[in-house]
Amino acid sequence: MKSLWLISACLMSLALAPQDAQSSLDLEAGDSEAPRGWSAPVIEQIERLPVQEGGRVKPFHTFANFTLLRLHGSRRLSSPEGQSLSPVEWLLDVLLRPGSTTRDELFLVQNGEVIEAIGLPLGAAKGRAKYSYESLWPALVNNKLFDLASEYVRIDEKERSPVQSQVVLLASNVSSYDRLLSEMSWAQVDFEVPAGDRISALFEGRKSVAFHDIVKNAVPMLTLRQELDDLGDAASMEQSLGILEMLSQAVEAVRYSNSLAFLPPVASVDSEAEWMTAAALFSNALQGMPVAEVYIDALAGWEAAAAAPDDDVVVAHALSNVVREVNWLADARGEGDSLGLELRYYKLDLLTWSLSLFVLAFITCAILWMRPKSRVVYRITWAFAGSAYALLVAAIVMRCVIRSRPPVSTLYETVLFVAATGGLSALFVEWVNKRRIALSAATIMGMGLLFIANGYEMLDKRDTMPSLVAVLDTNFWLATHVTTITMGYAAGMLAALLGSIWVVCKAFRLKRHDPSFFKGLSRMTYGVICFAATLSIVGTILGGIWANDSWGRFWGWDPKENGALMIVIWQVAMLHGRMAGLLRDKGFALAAAFGGTVIAFSWWGVNLLGIGLHSYGFTSGIHSALWTYYGIQWAVVALGLIAVRSGKPALNK
Amino acid sequence: MNQVNKETSVTVLGGRVMQALSSLRLSCTLLILLGLLTWLGTLEQAEHGLYEVQRKYFESYILFFDAGPISVPLPGANLVMTLLFFNIVVGGIVRLRKTSNQLGVLIVHVGMLLLFAAGFIKLNYSEEGHVTLYEGDASNTYQSYHKWEVAVSRMLPDRTVKEWLIPGQQFLGAHGDESQVFRSDDLPFDVVLSHVMSNSRPLRKGPMFEVDVPVIDGQFLKEEPRLPDSERNTAGVYVSLQETAGDTQVDAMLWGRDVEPYQVDVDGVRWGVQLRRERYPMPFTIALDDFIKEEHPGTMMPKWFSSDVTVVEEGSPRSLRISMNEPLRNNGLVMYQASWGPANAAPGTPLFSTLAVVRNPSDQYPLYACILIAIGLLLHFMRRLSGYIRAESRS
Repeated sequence: MKSLWLISACLMSLALAPQDAQSSLDLEAGDSEAPRGWSAPVIEQIERLPVQEGGRVKPFHTFANFTLLRLHGSRRLSSPEGQSLSPVEWLLDVLLRPGSTTRDELFLVQNGEVIEAIGLPLGAAKGRAKYSYESLWPALVNNKLFDLASEYVRIDEKERSPVQSQVVLLASNVSSYDRLLSEMSWAQVDFEVPAGDRISALFEGRKSVAFHDIVKNAVPMLTLRQELDDLGDAASMEQSLGILEMLSQAVEAVRYSNSLAFLPPVASVDSEAEWMTAAALFSNALQGMPVAEVYIDALAGWEAAAAAPDDDVVVAHALSNVVREVNWLADARGEGDSLGLELRYYKLDLLTWSLSLFVLAFITCAILWMRPKSRVVYRITWAFAGSAYALLVAAIVMRCVIRSRPPVSTLYETVLFVAATGGLSALFVEWVNKRRIALSAATIMGMGLLFIANGYEMLDKRDTMPSLVAVLDTNFWLATHVTTITMGYAAGMLAALLGSIWVVCKAFRLKRHDPSFFKGLSRMTYGVICFAATLSIVGTILGGIWANDSWGRFWGWDPKENGALMIVIWQVAMLHGRMAGLLRDKGFALAAAFGGTVIAFSWWGVNLLGIGLHSYGFTSGIHSALWTYYGIQWAVVALGLIAVRSGKPALNK
Repeated sequence: MNQVNKETSVTVLGGRVMQALSSLRLSCTLLILLGLLTWLGTLEQAEHGLYEVQRKYFESYILFFDAGPISVPLPGANLVMTLLFFNIVVGGIVRLRKTSNQLGVLIVHVGMLLLFAAGFIKLNYSEEGHVTLYEGDASNTYQSYHKWEVAVSRMLPDRTVKEWLIPGQQFLGAHGDESQVFRSDDLPFDVVLSHVMSNSRPLRKGPMFEVDVPVIDGQFLKEEPRLPDSERNTAGVYVSLQETAGDTQVDAMLWGRDVEPYQVDVDGVRWGVQLRRERYPMPFTIALDDFIKEEHPGTMMPKWFSSDVTVVEEGSPRSLRISMNEPLRNNGLVMYQASWGPANAAPGTPLFSTLAVVRNPSDQYPLYACILIAIGLLLHFMRRLSGYIRAESRS
């Protein structure tokens, strides 16, 4: 019996061996001519399949979405034949028709020097371009890409040149794709049953069997082999070797199947949280762990789909079996509750619709600036902006329900929340004073921030609903401190926008015959700063109280804390300066406009320093966007200082 | 007549001082200065680390900011915040109108004063450190993250250890081979410390190079550049124990990471000398029963870590759990789940849990201040908002 477990341990270690840098798939000429795309019933089935990735369970649709985004830089891919593929279609192709995807221009490379560095000829595209797996193949065969990447990865991330970073990224992406190509290898091959009565009886006399048959019979096969070894005669030894070879073939077929964890454990979430890939399931089977029938059905489903990938009816039926079995298990573990809602969230694409409505609202807003007395245009703008905000709020609410979290727990969500709360505050002000100014601000703010959210998602290329690190795993503090401070950002950014509008209109002598315009704008800016200061002060102190409970000190002069303090100080100084008569209308507007950069520094700028305890918020690649914003706000301040004469004393003097 | 004039001028001067101290202009100036210090201190952290920056910018009364070749003197945040405190107090007494309209403002400023008081108490009267335990270990002391001390110890006949301590602040400022002598009537020798290094490592002296520090048993302490992350610095010092009533002298080098004290026999009594992080006693003993660490499935991202501990106080044990965001508050001390290790431990390797320990008399003041400030701001700005809405409705 001891040797049985020894063999199984050897096989298991093979099954779980990490993939070599060298590609595991030989390019198959001819497959590239295979049809692409999938029928609606197939897509409807597979996109609902739950998979575990990044520490959470998500629909296959989400997994495909972010996988393609990470490798390709966008969510649509054109096949060489010009067919536009969705992430789900593409990923299903990779899994079930791997050879057909190697000519897709999949890999986004930002700089042509990367291609030269890995020893490939640079074509017409010197800058940003997309390359297929096939075109990168020479650099994979001679290992140039992975050799360079392993050299560069030893350099500290901050010290790497852009080309070095891109080489590392390209190697990582190629490696991810490579693993996906081989993910379903086990489903695409049959295994010949070796000669021998007893092994033949185990497989009911079949000459060849599928992978799921081997998984199901792993333990009987190992036991049989042990018994044959114990007999010791030549015929038995030959049969034993045949069984070992069959198991080895199965291990070889499944060894790269480590990307798609689609098999939930039968046990509860508390006792076993990690889902299994096909490789992990086989490894467990070889260790003698019982294999539930539901797993066998799921494997058989994938095998049926892989056997006839061009027959949509067969594939749809096969995948529906897989999805049904896996969903049943996920539901039993309480992990399937929000999968449907998440799928709906991404399919409805409320944020894109919201952004489109903001763009329309902005256009009508521009018309309103030219025809300010037009009630029709005013109402249309209200309708567009209101609808856009309704969709934005709906999207945020859906995210809260999906994650069972308050609205803000990641940097991405801060952008959505700032857009929603800032814009809704502006709409409230517009509802009170109906001066058209706050409506414009709401439109500009919503549109601008949704563009930023979209840009950030494209830049980050990671799941926007990630698992949270331990310190953030507290809904109480996320709901109080994070929400309050983010609302403070929103109000501060709105005030910066209103202040900038004041300065620009004054500088270019717009509305010069309408003093009430500037008077109203000043009052609005002041009111919004009061609101912002309240939220910033309370939010910052709440953050200190949280830090006191997590890290043992109320205040540690951490960069993120300092950023929040700077916002508080700036806004409090503005209010006191106004009271002291140091800041009049012009000064207050300029200070509000400059305050936007203080908020941007706290919100994004300190993350670029790469230090401090708030390291879960680090990001990169936002330098240019941040400096553009700083530049705009400083230009507004400079314009105000140069071109605007001092206004009248503050309103409440 | 002169007397009256003098009194008048004193009154006028006093009035002017009070007026200046309570002025909004001073408030604005101090706020801008505090904002500037915060900004400079934040940027400088990337280069010099939090600990150094905190001491330079935020715990000082004056500092010199290097703007290229020029050193610009700036008031430290301590000075600015002290002045701000008096500005709020005097402003509240002298300038703030005592009407119901200003009630919210008054409450906010009381909250701010409470916050300043919390900061002052924390800065001057708190201690912080950590206790690191493997499962099954217990401790009734915790040690500082940053501060050092030299401990001279002696085992007493009843098997207890008696210690004489030299706090780091008394010798860490010394430069080069400058010697400092420490004497106690309880010790039969003088403790002479020299070659103090804030970051160092012991090296074996080879024949191919010379060093400018004493070589003891073929080894010497090499001074290393100070690291921005203060916790990673390891102090070192040379010690000479010179018998008071004799000529015996024992030289040794002490390094901050030595686990055991350097041992020496004087008059037949064994003494130990050790350079170590400052230690503070706890009014209870804490034992680590179980350390739990979870990661998000399929990732290396920490999901949860907690320590199940037994606190023994006056002989009676209590079982408790300390986890992220759920500290233990007991007998004036607060203990937090801070970290664990060793990093990258292989599965099955015993792990240790590090609990941060803080003694802060003003621990809960920020919470009270936050409640006061939130009430005050809401009261004040809701009043202003309703006034604004009424005014807009009328217009």
